[in-house]
Amino acid sequence: MLEMQNVTKAYRTDLLETHALREFSLKVEKGEFVAVTGPSGSGKTTFLNVAGLLETFDSGSYRLDGEDVSRLGDDARSQVRNRRIGFIFQSFNLIPDLDVFDNVDVPLRYRRLPAAERRERIDAALELVGLASRRKHLPSQLSGGQQQRVAIARALAGDPALLLADEPTGNLDSLMARQVLDLLEQINEMGTTIVMVTHDPELARRAHRNVQVIDGQVTDYKPYEPSSATVTPLHPAVAGGASRA
Amino acid sequence: MDIKPILSSLRRSPTGALLVALQIALALAIAVNSLFIIVQRLELLNRDHGVDVENTFVVSWVPVAGRFAGEPAMREDLQVLAGLPGVVAATTVNAVPLSGGGSSTSLYTQPGEKGQRGDINYFAVTERGIEAFGLELVEGRNFDATTVRKLPRNGSEFVPEVILTRAAAKELFKDEPAVGRTVYDSLGQPATVVGIVAGMIGSWPSWDQAGNVALFPVIADEQQARYFVRALPGRRDAAMKAAEDALGRIDNGRVILRVRPLDYIAASTYADDQAMTVYLAVVIALLLGVAALGIFGLASFNVGARTKQIGTRRAVGARRLDIVRHFLVENWLVTTAGVVVGCVLALLLGLWLSETFELPRLKLYYLVAGALVLWGVSLAAALVPARRAARVSPAVATRTV
Repeated sequence: MLEMQNVTKAYRTDLLETHALREFSLKVEKGEFVAVTGPSGSGKTTFLNVAGLLETFDSGSYRLDGEDVSRLGDDARSQVRNRRIGFIFQSFNLIPDLDVFDNVDVPLRYRRLPAAERRERIDAALELVGLASRRKHLPSQLSGGQQQRVAIARALAGDPALLLADEPTGNLDSLMARQVLDLLEQINEMGTTIVMVTHDPELARRAHRNVQVIDGQVTDYKPYEPSSATVTPLHPAVAGGASRA
Repeated sequence: MDIKPILSSLRRSPTGALLVALQIALALAIAVNSLFIIVQRLELLNRDHGVDVENTFVVSWVPVAGRFAGEPAMREDLQVLAGLPGVVAATTVNAVPLSGGGSSTSLYTQPGEKGQRGDINYFAVTERGIEAFGLELVEGRNFDATTVRKLPRNGSEFVPEVILTRAAAKELFKDEPAVGRTVYDSLGQPATVVGIVAGMIGSWPSWDQAGNVALFPVIADEQQARYFVRALPGRRDAAMKAAEDALGRIDNGRVILRVRPLDYIAASTYADDQAMTVYLAVVIALLLGVAALGIFGLASFNVGARTKQIGTRRAVGARRLDIVRHFLVENWLVTTAGVVVGCVLALLLGLWLSETFELPRLKLYYLVAGALVLWGVSLAAALVPARRAARVSPAVATRTV
């Protein structure tokens, strides 16, 4: 699903060069739930940005879902993000002026899907995260946990191959954090690959596998060993059948 | 297109957008009406005046009491002027065309102030009047020299013949032939229409009937008479100098006050119109500039305030073009709201101006032009912030501050 080989990423200013990723290599198999941990400044977020094609990298290679995405142009990267990757951000990143329905609709509009199909996907995603009755609510009218569930619905509505979560419970209290984590586990059990960046060891323990990053390098890496867990498909409208538009 | 979510977003944070839309509405209403007035003024300035403005000049003089010989002295001066090199013709006039000062009377098609009435600006000229003004005689004939005479001062005597402009003839006789017909003054005294000239703007260029002009075969009274002279093309300035010198050499009891070209006199008359044109053009430019700044300011503020949102949109799949389009569409919606309200305001303002200052009604295509210009200005003003928004990195989405 995700395969990075010797990826290097440095941030440069006139006076300083900071190596955020050094010879970073990681392989995540389809259906895995991987937690990427490490102390602040270790390169976790840079890894997430590179994995999510939010940033380019200097050298190395990156294959996503079988396709080399190392040197794609800006528009092509936007398209890959839109169609194959779902993002869950620490601060939810919902658009405050849009209601729940329209927030989930944002990536689908950029995919130019017909209105009826968008509506179907949004309904299914909101149903999955338990917020079908809140579709007309503004983010400010929801709790933090509900907002993060809207963000998860937004990520899932596009039927991504990979879900990238950046400290998904960082802004939530423990009860809401548990609910969100339960939801992520449920989504993973349905077959969606999840890579979660966190500095919370408690959270990381719930993943199939932990990858520790220090100074921009993977220091603790174990290859994936598939479990015998049953894989249940997502809601058909969200999964969009086998095909991804 | 993302109109629905953008509209929802605008509905939930309407203040800035409403203020800019109002600014656009006011700019459109004022700019369109200003433009309409400018165009009217330019039409006034650039219309065919009939009189040969570029090649004519006026000699102003005053008689010296007890020494001025009257009509013979004026005939003598006219003869001298007509004989100068480069001069085509000269006449006495009671008033100067396009000068802002003149005489008018009412003429009727029937005696006793009956029939069709025309308010006519008249000029007392000699048999050389048509030539001196540079008018085109299109029907009938010119005055005969024997018809031209000096009328008693403060008398009520009318003239036996008149020459009308086409506009004056149409006013009195509609589409019927005017030559040979009789017109009457308010005392019922008749005069025969002997000729029609193509067209001439009279003394008051801003008057809505400025083309209603009649020529009377009269030597103007010396208290108001001036000499009106036409030179050959390109020889006016030399003729003016020669006229001043030649008349200065004749001592017939009058003092030459000044010799001025007609274009100078007309420019003085039109000075207010020209000043208003410039003033209104500056107002339009300022209004459009301020509107553009408002749009630029709103779009820049929105881009600055929504950096994280833009990053998020980019992260979930928006291309740079999608971001540019988002801000341009948002700006277009605000501008369009302003344009719609502005069109209504422009019509109301136009109606008020029309009724208060007796101006023509605002033409609708000015609204169309104004709306197009404001859309263009607004697009240009929003483009820079929109492109700045498109440069926001999608990685902004993962930043926590």
